[in-house]
Amino acid sequence: MAGGVRLRVAAVWLLAGLCVVSAGILIAPGSSTSNQDRGQVFAGSSSAHPAGTDALGRDRMARVAGAFLLSMAGATLAAAATTAAAAGVGLLAAFSPAYVSGLVLLICDAFLALPWLFLLMMVRSLLPLTTSPANSAAVTFFVLAALGWPACARAVYRGALGLKNAEWMLQARAGGLRGGQIARYVLPNLTPLLLPQFLVSVPAFVIAEANLGALGLGIGEPLPSWGGMLLELENSATLLRTSWVYLPIALLVLVLLLLEGATQEV
Amino acid sequence: MKAGVELLKRLARTVAILLFVVGGSTILVRFAPGYLSDVREMDARYAGAARVELTAEAARSSSVWQMLKTELGGWTRGDLGTSREYDVPVVELIRPRLAVTGGLMARAIALAWTLALGWALLSSAGRRPRMLWQAPSALLLAVPTAAMATFCLVAGRGGPVVVMTLVLAARDFKFLDKVLRKAWQAEHVLQARAQGVSTARLLWAHILPGTGPQLLALATLSIVTALSAMVPAEVIFGVPGLGQLAWNAAMNRDLPVLVAVTMILAVAIALAGMAPERRGEWRAA
Amino acid sequence: MLTATLTIACAGQAAPRLPGELAWTIGSDPKTFDPAKVDDQWSEQIRYLTGGVLLRFNRLSQSVEPQLAESWKLAVDGKTVTFKLRRGLEFSDGSGLTAKDVAWSIRRVLLPATGSPVAEEFLSPAGVTVETPDERTVVVHLPRRVIGIGKVFDEIAIEPAERASEGRVTAGPFVVAEYKRSQYVRLRRNPHYFGRDSGGVALPYATGLRLDVLANSEQVTRLFERGEYDVINYLPPDYFELLKQKDAGAVRDLGPSLNTEQLWFNQVPGAALPAWEKTWFQSQAFRVAVSRAIHRADLARIAYEGHATPAYSFMSPANGVWYDRNLQVPKEDLSAAKAGLAQAGFKLNGSVLEDAAGHAVKFSILTNATNAARQKMATLIQQDLKALGMDVTVVALDFPALIERLMHSQDYEACLLGLENVDPDPNAMMNIWLSSSPNHQWNPSQKTPATGWEAEIDRLMGVQASSLKQAERKQAMDRVEQIVADQQPFIYLLYPNALHAVSPRLEGVAPAVLEPGLFWNVERLRLREAR
Repeated sequence: MAGGVRLRVAAVWLLAGLCVVSAGILIAPGSSTSNQDRGQVFAGSSSAHPAGTDALGRDRMARVAGAFLLSMAGATLAAAATTAAAAGVGLLAAFSPAYVSGLVLLICDAFLALPWLFLLMMVRSLLPLTTSPANSAAVTFFVLAALGWPACARAVYRGALGLKNAEWMLQARAGGLRGGQIARYVLPNLTPLLLPQFLVSVPAFVIAEANLGALGLGIGEPLPSWGGMLLELENSATLLRTSWVYLPIALLVLVLLLLEGATQEV
Repeated sequence: MKAGVELLKRLARTVAILLFVVGGSTILVRFAPGYLSDVREMDARYAGAARVELTAEAARSSSVWQMLKTELGGWTRGDLGTSREYDVPVVELIRPRLAVTGGLMARAIALAWTLALGWALLSSAGRRPRMLWQAPSALLLAVPTAAMATFCLVAGRGGPVVVMTLVLAARDFKFLDKVLRKAWQAEHVLQARAQGVSTARLLWAHILPGTGPQLLALATLSIVTALSAMVPAEVIFGVPGLGQLAWNAAMNRDLPVLVAVTMILAVAIALAGMAPERRGEWRAA
Repeated sequence: MLTATLTIACAGQAAPRLPGELAWTIGSDPKTFDPAKVDDQWSEQIRYLTGGVLLRFNRLSQSVEPQLAESWKLAVDGKTVTFKLRRGLEFSDGSGLTAKDVAWSIRRVLLPATGSPVAEEFLSPAGVTVETPDERTVVVHLPRRVIGIGKVFDEIAIEPAERASEGRVTAGPFVVAEYKRSQYVRLRRNPHYFGRDSGGVALPYATGLRLDVLANSEQVTRLFERGEYDVINYLPPDYFELLKQKDAGAVRDLGPSLNTEQLWFNQVPGAALPAWEKTWFQSQAFRVAVSRAIHRADLARIAYEGHATPAYSFMSPANGVWYDRNLQVPKEDLSAAKAGLAQAGFKLNGSVLEDAAGHAVKFSILTNATNAARQKMATLIQQDLKALGMDVTVVALDFPALIERLMHSQDYEACLLGLENVDPDPNAMMNIWLSSSPNHQWNPSQKTPATGWEAEIDRLMGVQASSLKQAERKQAMDRVEQIVADQQPFIYLLYPNALHAVSPRLEGVAPAVLEPGLFWNVERLRLREAR
């Protein structure tokens, strides 16, 4: 499977490269994610603005680079956290006595049905209005991570339950294998469930962060928000202005494919 | 006897979830900002009427305990309360929409599963490059539902079923692809392949049965995803279903409707979670 | 089979159109069909389309015209209104309409039990009496003079006595025929409508109206392009441009509307803000400096795609009678803004503005999330104020949470919202300018006026409410405008233009800036092929 390893390494390097290039774009002298060039709204590409400008005349290239780093960091960390939480809860439920697992799953199901929209509104009302955009972004991703785990936890539980009754597991436990060590052996077998959940959560969180902007959370202006740029696509009037609006989504697809490549098993 | 006890346990579990959810929703909605506010207060023509309604609502909802007692008392009589926004019984609002949403979801889930399974089978059994098979699902996951809806509207084709199907299929594909790929790598499968067993027979006799429990687990996940994808799809396309009702109720802080819809959601999730759990052996381990 | 299922799944809109039926959309379900209880925008639209009224306010000429009443007379002291009804009036079910029905309808509106918002417009509804000397005469006695009493009767639909029908039996051009919640309202032509055109043809021309409940602008625009809708009322500027590209004749920009977009600071003394912030917001120099630093031309050009006019006062140029051409306003001038701040004790520390006590000037602007133009304006203003050294955070909330902060807890610093003015007469704005009113946004419900200039505004509003001479009223309002321009409690930004889309097949359209805009003369609208 040498080809697979090469692909994995290449994907990791490409991702790292993207990060470096984005950082470079941001640090370059004269580049700004928030400076409004008001005479050049929705402009096409030019020497000053290689990827054109957005609705307020801000440089799209710099904004995409900034959004990539910001949302990527936030969404990946939040997705990793939520997948880890789902794994933890699923394992706990599978390897605990019946009443504990019953309770855990009950909470899990109830969690899924509650209208968390209102909790998010409450979180916003608790934050001071002058919270900086960066802090608001951090809080948003934290809340998303805290609310995303129940969806996958039950699937992990089922998978772990299946493993629990496998011959090799019964033998190992009889031989004295304990909690933490169980996790070490079980987790690799659960990757078919955990990895897709992680890969699905990343774009979901990027978009969710933008949707939360309607509640006052999300990444505040003037910081660039990747989800916000994706949501520009919902307005057909914007789609006709310039084809550079498709840049954020092209980049996101590329990043998802690279993540897929970087996390695949060989 | 044992089946009876099992059934009672499941029923008790569902009731417990419902109570938890009802209490939780009531508290969340009541204490979220804006419960006792109305945008009409800003308009001189309607401000007076709006304030009268809000005062009445404040009196009704001064104590959460009181609210819960009234809610639960009403349900035992089959009365789900009266909508704060429409001033009609909640049952009347929900009844016509159940069929609409149920139909939408059933079609979307069935189509999504067919699409995802087919694509995953092709992807996992197919030759490299793997990225080619992954690209469509990556694209679909990256497009927000609202943008997908706009593309449908611009193209003049497709509606809520198409959008929901694509959203669900993209997610289901990711899981199915992984599961099936893993199944293809199993020792007995590799051996059978080496011995020249046909792909079709491999799929039918070895791969699909072996991944049964996993696929079932994914079904639950799929239903949960469908429930959450339903709201944006209905709202954007203006489909008069439960999702649109829930969204309007959330924006207008219509507590009775929200609690009723949340209950239905909880029942759906509880039922999905009760699918028979086959504690059979993990064959592919 | 898969493709078939997928294509069947397309969401078609509601029911197919009947011949001669007009169609457009409303944003959400009307709360009520009872014309006396109308308390939201869409119910009001239904009432406008179905209710037979004694007098109609002509939106184009901005004058009151007789409708069901053949003529009307207002006594010199303004306390007695006499209506003479036309002959042979009928309701939509054929029953006769006489003074008895008119009196019953008016009394019902005034009854406290009905809870009609229109009753408040009579100022002392309890003291109003209605007499019917004969079958065609109605005399209304008012305890207090009401300015623009003619327009109030435009909001009272006449219903059959003792038979309130929630719009099913009306004297207006249309009748409510069908209602499917969250889908559509169908109105049917009233065959007994009194109106006739100059050729004697019975009005309304259209056989019916279908109002679809649809809020999504994208859907509405698409369906309009496909010919499903004849009219889009109040088009967002970006969709206006989109439709204009496809067909320039289909869109109308009627120029500035009566509405305003404005920014204001929280001046409530008891608000939960730090004391130094309250000092800033209550300082005239601070507010004027902020006003001077904002580039309104950019706001109009970028946030509204040019379809807005910079505003400095609450009277829009569309308000021909009341607009003050000679108003002195603080125009854009960054250096004057900086000088004003410096004089008030603020100083620049590097790129950060600090007040005299050393606190960095940092505040948030609250706006509502669903309005894309306002979000853009807030971000543009954020950059404009950065030039002064102010650190502005933009927060978008949904309306209930926003209203709670604005009107109940007063927990906000600055707010960017729009105000809709339906009535050009400034008397309709009493609740904004009176300091005791809960809608006196920057410092509502004051027991006594907090500042000298607010006391002066209270006095002047009293003058315009009680004066019988138009010139005196205009003078008072000009003075109010000048005080507001000097003090900047509301920093006016723009008058958004009235933007509409009209299908080329629709005839008889005479769009007016005043609401309801395109279909104020609905009885004269018809589709071309329906001749």
